[in-house]
Amino acid sequence: MSDENGQNSGKPEKHSAGAELVLPIAGLIFTIYYFTTIIDVPWTAQVSAFFVGTILIGLIIALIVRTTLAVRRGDSSWSVAPLIAPKSYVPKRLALLGLTLSYVFFIEWGGFTITTFLFLLCAMLLLSGGKNKGLILSLSLALSVGGYFLFIVAFNTRFPRGPVETMLHGVF
Amino acid sequence: MEIDWGLFVELFARTFTFWWVILPAILLGLIVGAIPGFSAANTIIILLPMTLAMEPEIGLIFMVALYASSRMGAGIPAILVNIPGTAGAAATPLDGYPMTKQGRGQQALAISFVSSVFGGLLTTILALLAMPWLSQVAYHLHSVEMIVIMLFGISLIATIAAKDTLKGLIAGFFGLMIGYIGADVVYETPRGTFGFLELYDKVPLIPALVGLFAVSEAFAVIEGESILTKRGKEAMQKAGWAETWEGVRLAISRWWHIIWTSIIGLVIGVVPGAGAAIASFVAYQQSKTFSKTPELYGTGHLEGLVAPESANNGVTSGTLIPLLVIGVPGGATAAIMAVVLQYHGVAVGPDLFDSQPELAYGAFTAMAVTYALMILTVLPLARYMSKITVVSTTYMAPIIISFTLVGAFVPRAYVFDMYLALAFGVIGYVARKTGYHVAAILIGVILGPLLENYFLRALRISQGDIMVIFSSNLGNIMWVLLIISLFVPMYLDKRRKRLSKQAIPITTDC
Repeated sequence: MSDENGQNSGKPEKHSAGAELVLPIAGLIFTIYYFTTIIDVPWTAQVSAFFVGTILIGLIIALIVRTTLAVRRGDSSWSVAPLIAPKSYVPKRLALLGLTLSYVFFIEWGGFTITTFLFLLCAMLLLSGGKNKGLILSLSLALSVGGYFLFIVAFNTRFPRGPVETMLHGVF
Repeated sequence: MEIDWGLFVELFARTFTFWWVILPAILLGLIVGAIPGFSAANTIIILLPMTLAMEPEIGLIFMVALYASSRMGAGIPAILVNIPGTAGAAATPLDGYPMTKQGRGQQALAISFVSSVFGGLLTTILALLAMPWLSQVAYHLHSVEMIVIMLFGISLIATIAAKDTLKGLIAGFFGLMIGYIGADVVYETPRGTFGFLELYDKVPLIPALVGLFAVSEAFAVIEGESILTKRGKEAMQKAGWAETWEGVRLAISRWWHIIWTSIIGLVIGVVPGAGAAIASFVAYQQSKTFSKTPELYGTGHLEGLVAPESANNGVTSGTLIPLLVIGVPGGATAAIMAVVLQYHGVAVGPDLFDSQPELAYGAFTAMAVTYALMILTVLPLARYMSKITVVSTTYMAPIIISFTLVGAFVPRAYVFDMYLALAFGVIGYVARKTGYHVAAILIGVILGPLLENYFLRALRISQGDIMVIFSSNLGNIMWVLLIISLFVPMYLDKRRKRLSKQAIPITTDC
């Protein structure tokens, strides 16, 4: 409650409800796509998905109606700000996503050791803003080489293998 | 099968002499359990040449010790960095990770260790004593009863969704739809696969787990210098051995909670194919249902951590029962153990208790001894393990991303699974940022296909009669219990609110 001096009487910040609809809309699109893949299949393949999918669509519609009413009342807005907040981290986050995609793309050919080393080095330098280069270099090297010896040499795990692993296979 | 106390004492004493096998297996189990993508089953397969070369008894002790310790290991990253090592630890971060953020990571680890060890130890001894009767559980739990058990687990979605039911249910049902991706169990018709052959065999769990928990967490934590809150950091700086002992004390103070939630794990573990994930979800849901403080769950609540950790370790001994008593493995690890024993000419099944009791009962004594040795070796490490939380996110986020993504590759050796983990990471990130619970999505992904499987099996047996789900007495009792466990909390919550409203005027008058 606001006091007599009018403290806390300023307009409360609107709830950014637009962001909350991103996942349900993705779910809605996926469910519709899923339904298109089971139209002509035996009932055993349909029954559970139709049951769950129909409930999901109903729930999503209920959320859209709830959000629309809240926006019309002025309690919420269609803003998607929470999804990208804080804005200052957006470039770093996108760059990290790009690095991660490159990591997954190149690991098939480069193998675990060298690709992991490059990914760790670049990602840590990105997040640190270029500080502590020596520490980051040694950490990346230690983790990728340590990972090679622990998982590939010691445990003989099915890690992605590339030129480094092939070259060292005869040695270890 | 009569209980021969003399044999048990002799077996316990004999198993202790194999400490030199058990201790390395514990260490290995803790490591593989803590890394997503690695599991006791995978590790035993990798080490198969070694276990095949061992004497059957030593090989069995090694496998059992590795299995039990990997279960505990899976809870460590779940608590410290919000990344469950296996699906069985997926309910652990619900309250474990909030404790870490508050700077109580060391305490949370101690609680987890004590709950796991006592839950595991108790159920192992119970399994040993009640094996003839427990083995019958698997005969009584058919598709119909399993449907109700699955629904117990799925109802956790509603429990998690307490703050915003609509959003919680959307997350859970979205997870269920994702879980239905893949070929159907009867006609193998591909559904919702986007044309990817890699998805015909359902959505693999490890990439889902890695993406929803680890990758999304890594992208979210880079906003801060550390995963700890400001108060958490201060608490961590002051932390000493007292924190570990406080964790031990708190866990022991909930001894009754450990007992009944680990028994849930034991009973679910006896059912072939059920598994630790279901047990931990059901235990968490039941724990919250019967709690006097359900509103504290999800905020770093002691009982919310004790329940899943006791239950998933209760499963460990449960899965060995059908293997040893009726020759049906209760899970993947038990199946590999059966292969190793058969290689040595040991036929698992009821005859084993007469022909080679040291192996049949020895599996359980090995598990009990493992748990006893584990608490001594792991508890002192809690203080040092928890220090990982003070590592800057600058270093931690890339390490989490790279090692967990490679972990997603390991089970099937498909690079596709790494892309899949990344896609789940994006879903998880959006969910975190917009107030949806990633655990609710994961519950759907894990339990959705299992529920469909049992449901279709029941329908096929009854030739399409839907009323089959009410056809068994045990099943009907379970339906009643399910309805009670769903509606009693709502009634109690309303009653609590009504009483607190009535109490306000009285307080004001005073």
